[in-house]
Amino acid sequence: MQIEVREDNVAILRGREGTVALVKALGRSFFLDGPDEEIVLFTDPEDLIVASSFGVGEKVEKGLICTLFQIRELGSPLIVLPKGHKASPRLKTVVSLGERTRLSCRIQPGTHPEQDVLCAAEELDGLEIVAVPGGALIEGFEGQVHLERFS
Amino acid sequence: MCTVGGGPDLGDLESLATKDYICSECGNKFKGMGKRPMCPSCKSRKVKAAS
Repeated sequence: MQIEVREDNVAILRGREGTVALVKALGRSFFLDGPDEEIVLFTDPEDLIVASSFGVGEKVEKGLICTLFQIRELGSPLIVLPKGHKASPRLKTVVSLGERTRLSCRIQPGTHPEQDVLCAAEELDGLEIVAVPGGALIEGFEGQVHLERFS
Repeated sequence: MCTVGGGPDLGDLESLATKDYICSECGNKFKGMGKRPMCPSCKSRKVKAAS
């Protein structure tokens, strides 16, 4: 399905076990920061920021929207923790940036070089989100998509 | 990539296909990836790949 996503919209994909939210990147630059290095991620206006969480419900959706807001509107950096960091399993949201995002529930630590793969709940495995002018093309998703104001 | 939630699912940052850039306006040097590079310091698009 193709959905319209304006720059003041957030689209929320509600599954039974997982939730995904996405907004337009608006061509802004974002920072990817690790312990020893910082990388600037350049985007096209139509690119998407996609956030995924293992969970459903109002709290999860608020968390996803908050994450997207912090990244796009406040310019918060994307933090990459060192492998094995104790905080890793406690984090609730994962994020992908770019033209295309593939969701997978079979990602193993450090085993996928592709940078367009995002971990998600099992039911969302295989879902693909592609940026298109004015919106997003979503393939492999049978659930509901809700559009909300992103502000 | 998994980032905010994701040290576990992202390889080493050093393995990403990045380029070194230098800003022609302010001289800022930075590492970046993606289309339409822009200096994160002065926001200029007059950047070039550093040799």
